[in-house]
Amino acid sequence: MKTNKAAWPSMLISRITRLSVRTVLCILLLSIAQPIWADAQDPLDKTVTISLKNEPVKQALDKITTACGVRFTYNETVAKSTAIISIEANNQRLGDVLREAFTSQPFSFTVLDQEVLIKFDPAKAKKSAAAPVDGKYTISGTIKSKQTGETIIGASIRVINANLGTSSNEYGFYSLTLPAGDYQLSVGAMGQKSVVVPVSLNSNQRLNIELEDNAQQLQEVTVKAKPAGARDLGSPQMGVEHLSIQETKNIPVLLGERDVIKTIQLLPGIKSAGEGSGGFYVRGGAADQNMILLDEAPVYNASHLLGFFSTFNSDAIKNISIYKGDMPAQYGGRLSSVLDIKMNDGNNQKFGVSGGIGLIAARINAEGPIQKGKSSFLISARRTYADSFLALSKDSVAKNSKLYFYDVNAKANYVLGDKDRLFLSGYFGKDVLSAADIAGINWGNTTATLRWNHIFNSQLFSNTSLIYSNYDYKLNIKQDVNEYNIYSQIRDLNFKEDMQWYAGQNNTVSFGVNAIYHTIKPGEISATGNSGVVSQDLENRYALENSAYVSNTWRASDKFTLTYAVRLSAFTILGSGNYYAIDADGNITGSTHYNSGQAVKTYVNPEPRVAAAFQLNDISSLKASYARNAQNLHLISNSNAGSPTDKWVASTNLIKPELADQFSVGYYRDLNDRNYEFTVETYYKKLQNQIDYRNGANVFTNQPIETQLLYGKGRAYGAEFLFKKKTGRLTGWVSYTLSKSERMIDGINNNQWYNSRQDRTHDIAIVAMYKASEKWTFSANFIYYTGDAVTYPTGKYQVDGATYYYYTNRNADRVPAYHRLDLGATKQLKKTAKMQSDLTFSLYNAYGNPNAYRIFFRDNKTDPSRNEAVRTTLFTFVPSVTYNFKF
Amino acid sequence: MKNTIKYIIPMLIAVSLSACEKAIDLKLKDSEPQFVVEGVLTNEAGGCKVLLSKTKNFTDNNDFNGISGATVTIADESNTYTLAPTSTGTYQNSTLTGTPGHTYKLNVSVDGKTFTSTCTMLPAVKLDSIYLVKDELINNKDGTPRKYVTVQYHDPADVKNYYRFVQYINGRKEETVMLEDDEFTNGQDVNNNLRYSNDNDNPARDIRPGNEVTIEMFSIDQAVYKYFYSLSNSANGDGNNAAPANPMTNIKGGALGYFSAHTVERKKLTAP
Repeated sequence: MKTNKAAWPSMLISRITRLSVRTVLCILLLSIAQPIWADAQDPLDKTVTISLKNEPVKQALDKITTACGVRFTYNETVAKSTAIISIEANNQRLGDVLREAFTSQPFSFTVLDQEVLIKFDPAKAKKSAAAPVDGKYTISGTIKSKQTGETIIGASIRVINANLGTSSNEYGFYSLTLPAGDYQLSVGAMGQKSVVVPVSLNSNQRLNIELEDNAQQLQEVTVKAKPAGARDLGSPQMGVEHLSIQETKNIPVLLGERDVIKTIQLLPGIKSAGEGSGGFYVRGGAADQNMILLDEAPVYNASHLLGFFSTFNSDAIKNISIYKGDMPAQYGGRLSSVLDIKMNDGNNQKFGVSGGIGLIAARINAEGPIQKGKSSFLISARRTYADSFLALSKDSVAKNSKLYFYDVNAKANYVLGDKDRLFLSGYFGKDVLSAADIAGINWGNTTATLRWNHIFNSQLFSNTSLIYSNYDYKLNIKQDVNEYNIYSQIRDLNFKEDMQWYAGQNNTVSFGVNAIYHTIKPGEISATGNSGVVSQDLENRYALENSAYVSNTWRASDKFTLTYAVRLSAFTILGSGNYYAIDADGNITGSTHYNSGQAVKTYVNPEPRVAAAFQLNDISSLKASYARNAQNLHLISNSNAGSPTDKWVASTNLIKPELADQFSVGYYRDLNDRNYEFTVETYYKKLQNQIDYRNGANVFTNQPIETQLLYGKGRAYGAEFLFKKKTGRLTGWVSYTLSKSERMIDGINNNQWYNSRQDRTHDIAIVAMYKASEKWTFSANFIYYTGDAVTYPTGKYQVDGATYYYYTNRNADRVPAYHRLDLGATKQLKKTAKMQSDLTFSLYNAYGNPNAYRIFFRDNKTDPSRNEAVRTTLFTFVPSVTYNFKF
Repeated sequence: MKNTIKYIIPMLIAVSLSACEKAIDLKLKDSEPQFVVEGVLTNEAGGCKVLLSKTKNFTDNNDFNGISGATVTIADESNTYTLAPTSTGTYQNSTLTGTPGHTYKLNVSVDGKTFTSTCTMLPAVKLDSIYLVKDELINNKDGTPRKYVTVQYHDPADVKNYYRFVQYINGRKEETVMLEDDEFTNGQDVNNNLRYSNDNDNPARDIRPGNEVTIEMFSIDQAVYKYFYSLSNSANGDGNNAAPANPMTNIKGGALGYFSAHTVERKKLTAP
């Protein structure tokens, strides 16, 4: 999918400076063969300590002279050369230093008396220019971590001094087609040491590459083209953020529980749905317009404890990617984003246990080889014990309440041979919230994924998945002699086949199919006692969601890359069940019964997606993209809190698929030798068939849900800015989003445009991490955003002796702006080869700003003849400490 | 049951989110005053009363903003009855008593505007008994046991029924709107718990030993049910609804409020 990152300004130079291993050997031999003067030290044997970064040749040589006293002789060509070199030498032999520095430059050197002669070497330049063209071959393989055997996602594989390269896919597989010849591949990934691998390509080759963990290094300095993990300037993919779990490690969080969903909300265009809510909004879309995938299984409710924690245990996660509406064609089914979370595979080198104990939760993670180097397992579990604090409460309700969640991630993989690998992964989580056995609710997700990676040949990679996913909740109420149980469920069976075909040097094709069978049980009510409530089942809903896609990324030139793709989705609503005709006021005017398996309706949606990248130069590029997405599962909610009982509803004969068309343009630039990165993305998004509740909708009814709904359209637009510092002791980013999101629904707000709930004008996040020493790392976040768009009363009146409020325009008011500062510190405790541990401290909302969770209106408690606005606040000054260990 | 669920879920959430509350100064926009019509006709003597008022700004006091000078009539199939003003904004007719099965038309003319509404008085469903049930979850603010009334009635199977309950404690009317329909209880013997939350901690709203508790049960039509349902879910300012809005009125002509012609059943008890 991804193409390489070009080195454009030095294009011309690199054209003539490609260098093979043989040439290096020649130089090596040459330099050894220099006549040695017996009475004086060879200048090349002098030692030198120097650090140079991207210096022009002449200046670099001058500095070396200053550093070790050896003088250089060279002609005009060398003096005027625009080639730049980097050197990192600590008491090293000058000859070695020069050899390394000139590895990829068209220069050679010889000793001339006590000086060193630098020559422009046309042979060296010509050699690479005239690369043999006797056919093209493919080098392919898997990139892994040396320590753990984990495959590495998104590692970059680049041909040194050529604008060619690729990156590894979700399973660590890469494939690169090149003309026959000798190359040096630079392979790197976020958090890993880069390596340079010489390759002599004269037939198709398999090359598995292992990278060493770089986590303990302050900064890795190598002669490299580009820091690993940098944004891919040449790839047309826009609106994407990749985070490896190490990056999230030091960001301070509420109660010390690392949370990927909270971390992504610090990036531009991704906004928190508020404290006490696990949801997030992407580019003006609603929370249900985000597809959340855990090892490819959809997760329907990604929050624990009413949103304080995400369902994802960071210990078990390898990597997350979020696509903000410009998803690759392999993804579909949601309008606003795809959050793709990949679990660790498990260490296949050695057995290890890690974990953590925090104020409210404990975690444990065990992983190890099943067969060393071949197969491994991982099991990771978490449980909170917040309710043990409730027991200390004086309040009798709180005292007898339960409030906890637990979750388990498990995974095993098995290498069947050089070409096949099987993965089995699962997740199970449950939340329990109950008050003194009188009322309780529990909810949870279960997912299971069986995957088979198969490498057909060096250019064709296949992944086949069978996925199960389930979300359900159960509400139990006991009251007097009555007991009610309400159960609701959404369950998917999912088959997926994805293929990647690395079709030569300039094309990468992906294609695949997906079929999901959805079963939605909207509600099953059972009641005992004398309440008169009759136990009943609301009709199950069934649907088959099929899709197929094909996508090609075409590298038209060194500067221009284009991805064009189409996804075709077909959503078939299946019987058995009754489907209705409903008039404008929501009254049922007729119904049709469908038998089991009978098709009620099929919605077919072609979803074209196009993206282009134009690389302006070595450090900057422009990208543009268009994508259409269709969504057939809708979460219907009118609660402020985001309740686990919000309803998932499939499209019906009346509920049409939601559609979104997004246009975006972006500019990307690396600064200061790629230590900084700056991006701007702008987007305009048009939404169709948006759904909202009618005014006065009855949320708890056995009537068809369509009787309570209204439909309309939406639009959202904005600009997102991200400035990131990626290296050094101080790292972090500043993100700013300016945006607008509106809806127009027939029957709401007099059919006029109004701010959608997720409309946020300004959203700023500043994240800073400072590695003070080997022991201490400090971090801080600052967040500021415009308050939610809400509807406040513009008047009041009396009905039946009580005060009610009068409203005029929907969402025309604002909650006060939200802002807070979080601080964090991590202390690395004594580290041995066997065991390491750290202590993490955090302070959430460090200056205690009372942010509004909710604003409501009531009669003044002391003077009932007046009314007051009341703000509720959830968290001010929440300190925490967590002990993490690994052995 | 709907009543129960409506209170239980926010309560469960409240248990886990011990939030801190503070009255704040919000600058709210003002609006043009709107007419509010509250028309009631019952099957009891003296049960014909229409209140006409206008909305006020949020910062104003809560005194009833009655509007005088309106012409108010209620008509049945054969006659039109005029309601005379008895105090500012209150219009009554002491002789008109509703009859179940009849349809009534309300007409209010004021300041050149006319508001109309139609409502059919439905037959009474007998309120068989009322009794108190202790809340096992929460106590009153002062720690005494919290009690609610349970109403017992038989829901007729052949028709859709909508009920509204009004509770008085020593003559003080409870503000909470208490509604039920027969969506889940059609044709059954129903024991329905009338829960409400005393959110402003007013001790006069709690049922305490010795209090006289009166329950009125109205059989209302669907439009009136929808009005009160939407009033209590989206216009009471409680902040639970993400989209507060004006309730679904059955008054035509652009006024807020409702017109309800309903039968009344009544039971009393003294709290032990």
